Amino acid sequence: MLENRTKTTFAPALWWKKVSKHPFFGVFLSLFVMIMIRLLGDIGIVPPSVVDVFAIMWIYIIIGLGFTLLLGYTGLASLGTAGLIGVGSYVVAYALGTLGVSLFIAFILGIVIAIVLGTIVGFISLRIEGMYLAIITLGLSEILVEVFKFWTKVTKGLVGFQIERFPILGTIVREEQVYYLLVIGLILTMFAVLNIINSPTGRAMLSIKNSTSAAQAMGISILKYRLLSFIISTVLAVIGGMLYMAYTRSTIPNLWNIALSLNILAAVVIGGAKSIWGVSLGTIFIFGLNQLVFARIPFFATYGNASLFINGALIILVVMFYPGGIIRMFSDLSRLSKKWYQSIKTRIKEYRYGQD
Amino acid sequence: MDKTNTKKTLRIASKMDKIEKKIAYLTSYIDVLKHQDEVKVEKKINAWLDDQKENLLAYEVRTLSKEDYHQNFIQPKQDEVSKTYDLKERALRQSLKRKLDKADATQKEVLQKTFDENIATLHAELNEKLSEIEKELSVHAPSESARKEALKQYSDEKKKVSQEQQLLKESFEKEYALSFENQKARIQKQIDALKLKLDVLSKTHKSLLEQQENVLPDDVILRLDGLMMQFGGLVAVSNLSFDVKQGEIFGLIGPNGAGKTTVFNCITQFYKPTDGHIYYRDKRLNTIHLNDYIVHDVIKQGIVRTFQNVELIWELSILDNLLVGAHSTYQTGFFHHLFHTRRFLREESVLKAKAIKVLTDLNLLQYKDFYPLGLPYGILKQVELARTLMSEPQLIILDEPAAGLNDLETDRLIETIRKIQYDYKVTIFLVEHDMGLVMELCDTICAISFGKKLAIGTPKEIQSNKVVQEAYLGGE
Repeated sequence: MLENRTKTTFAPALWWKKVSKHPFFGVFLSLFVMIMIRLLGDIGIVPPSVVDVFAIMWIYIIIGLGFTLLLGYTGLASLGTAGLIGVGSYVVAYALGTLGVSLFIAFILGIVIAIVLGTIVGFISLRIEGMYLAIITLGLSEILVEVFKFWTKVTKGLVGFQIERFPILGTIVREEQVYYLLVIGLILTMFAVLNIINSPTGRAMLSIKNSTSAAQAMGISILKYRLLSFIISTVLAVIGGMLYMAYTRSTIPNLWNIALSLNILAAVVIGGAKSIWGVSLGTIFIFGLNQLVFARIPFFATYGNASLFINGALIILVVMFYPGGIIRMFSDLSRLSKKWYQSIKTRIKEYRYGQD
Repeated sequence: MDKTNTKKTLRIASKMDKIEKKIAYLTSYIDVLKHQDEVKVEKKINAWLDDQKENLLAYEVRTLSKEDYHQNFIQPKQDEVSKTYDLKERALRQSLKRKLDKADATQKEVLQKTFDENIATLHAELNEKLSEIEKELSVHAPSESARKEALKQYSDEKKKVSQEQQLLKESFEKEYALSFENQKARIQKQIDALKLKLDVLSKTHKSLLEQQENVLPDDVILRLDGLMMQFGGLVAVSNLSFDVKQGEIFGLIGPNGAGKTTVFNCITQFYKPTDGHIYYRDKRLNTIHLNDYIVHDVIKQGIVRTFQNVELIWELSILDNLLVGAHSTYQTGFFHHLFHTRRFLREESVLKAKAIKVLTDLNLLQYKDFYPLGLPYGILKQVELARTLMSEPQLIILDEPAAGLNDLETDRLIETIRKIQYDYKVTIFLVEHDMGLVMELCDTICAISFGKKLAIGTPKEIQSNKVVQEAYLGGE
C-alpha cells in the first residue's frame, strides 16, 4: 500500500550521469584537456618541450583515427602511413615556401592529392588483402620517401625543407596559436570519426571486415567502402602531415620511414582498434611514454633506444592478453576494483562483528 | 530496338522505386513522430504525478488504521534501532573473544563480568528506546473518527488528481497536436506531390511494358533456364530449368554435393553461371535477366538470401545487424552520415522503428541489444531471417534454415517461415536436408542430384517418385 518513503536522491550524481552518457562527452573532455595543457604552458607550469610533445601527439592521434577506420572497421592493414604524412608536410612546404600561395589553397591541394593517392591504394586493395596489401603500401611509402630525397627541385633533398613563419588569414601566427589549429583539427576529426562509426557507413565497413559474403548479400559494395576507408585514412594522414609542417615548420625525408608507420600501427593495436579513445590512449602510450616519462629516467637517457624494448614488450603483452586493446582493460579494472572493495568490506565486518 | 526499350523501362522502374521508397519513408516518419509525441506526453505526465505523490501521501497517512500505522512507521524505526544495537552487541562479543585469547584465568573472570554488565546496560537501553518509539503510536496514529473524515478527504483528493491528470494530458496533447498536424500536413504535401510524379511515371512504364514480349508467365517469379555451372572440369550444375511461382514456398532438395548451394550462389550472382539464363520478375512486373547484375545489386531487385552457416556481423548488436540488412534502403549518402544531418537522423529513427517491429513480429525483441556471440544457434538463425525482412524483399532464399537446430527449434522455424510468407507476402525458396520440414512446408519441391534435375512436383509426388528414392537410398 504505502510506498517506501525514504527516497535517496543525489542530484549531482544524476546530473553527472546525464552529461557523461552524452555521445560527445569524451570529445569535449579532451578539448578541455588540450586547451588546459596550452594554458598551463603559457603560465609556465608545463615546460614548452612537454607542450611540444603533446602537440605532436595530437597530430598522431588524428592520423591514428584515420587508421582505425581502415584497420578496426574495414579490416585492411597498411604500412604506408608515414609516406602519406610526408606528402602532407611537403605539400604545405612547397605551396607556402616556394609557390607562396595561401594556406587555404595548400590545404585544398593536399586533400586533392590525398584523394588521388587513396583511390590508387583502394583499387589495389580490391585484388590483394592482408599481409600482401601491407607490403604493397609499404613499397608505396618507400617510393614516396625516395621521391622526397631525390626530387631536389621541389623537396630540397636530404637536408630537408624549412619554411619561415607563415600567415593564416593575413596575420603572421606564432607557434602557440598554431597549437589551437591542431586542437581544432583533432576535435573535428573526432566528431567526424564518431559520426561515421555510428552510421550505416561504419556498419557497412564493419560488416565487410566480419564477412564479405554477408556484406555483399546485404547490398554493400565492397569496392565502394574499401575505397572510402582508404580515402578517409589517406586524407587524415595528409592533414596530419600538413599540421605537422604548420607546427614544426621543417620536414626531412628520413623522418617518414617505416618505423613511424609501425609505431602508428602499434598505437592503434595497443589502444584498441575499434574505439577512438583506445587509439588516443595507444598513441599516448607509444609516442608519449617515450618522451615524457622515459626521457626523465637516467637509464633511458643514456641508452635512448632501450625504451623500444618497453614498447615491444607492451605490444606482445597486449596482443597476447588483451586483443581488444588497453581500452578493454579499463572495464576489467573497474569490475575487479568493485570486487576487491566488496571483499575488503566483508573482511572488516568480520573482524569487528564476527562471522554471521 | 527491344533492348533499348527494356533499358528504358528499367530506368523508369528504378526512378519509381526511389520515389516509392521516399513515400514509404515519409509515411512511416509520420508514425514515428506521433510515437515520439506520445512518449513525450507520457514523460511529462509521469513527472507531474511524481510531484503529486508527496501531496497524496500526506493524506493517505491520516487514513491509516492503528495496525497499518504501526507496520508502516513504527516497525521500521524499531527494526533499525534493534539492528544497530545488535551490531553493538556483536562488536562487544567479538572484542571479548579476542581479549580472552590473550588473558590468563583471573583476568578472564574480570573480563567476563564487565562484559555481562555491558550487555545488560545495552539491553536496558534498547528496551527503553523501543518503548519510546512505541509511544509515538498513541500520539501520531489517527483516531477512529478522524480516520473516517480523512478517508473521505483522501478519496476526494485522489479524484481531483486524476481529473487534473486528465485535463493536463489533454492540454499536453493539444499542445503537441498542433505542431504534429503542421508537420503532418507538410509531409502529406510532399507525399502527394511524389504520388503525382509516380502516377505519370507508372503510366509510361505500363505502356512500355505492354510493348515488350513477356518471357515469363504472369504467375512465375523466378525462372532458371538451362543453368550450367562449371568449376574447371567439374560440372556442379548442368542444364537445370525450373520455375518458382509467385507466393509459394519452393523447396530444392538433393543428396550431399548435389549442387543446391551452387544454384543459390548462381541466382544471387556470387557465382557467374557458365551458361544459361536466370529470369526474375520484380514487383513492377519487369522481367529482369539476373545474369547481368552485380552481387550487391541483386538485393535491390528484391532478392535476399541467408547462409548455410550463420553469417551475422559478430561485432554489431542484433539491432544493428538488422540495420545492416536495411542497408540497401538507405537513401542518404556518405556526407549525410558524416555530418549526421537531420535527414539522416530521421531516416535512422524510421528504420530503427521498423527493425523493432520486425523483431517483435519474430519474438526476438528481448535480444535487441545483445551481441550475436554467445546467443543460441536457433536464435541466430531467426535473427538472420529477421535481417532479410529489413530490405522489403519479394523473394527470400533460405540456405538450409534448419541445419543444426533441434526438433523444438525446427517446429518454431516452420511457424516463423509460414508467418513470414503470410504477413510479408513473399515467395520463399529454400534448400533443406530435413525432409520433415520440407514435406510439411513446401508447395512445390524440386529434387536434384549431381547437378541434374530428377523430378519436380508436390511433396506427395516427390515422395512416391522412384528416381528420387533411388538417389537418396542408393540403387537396387
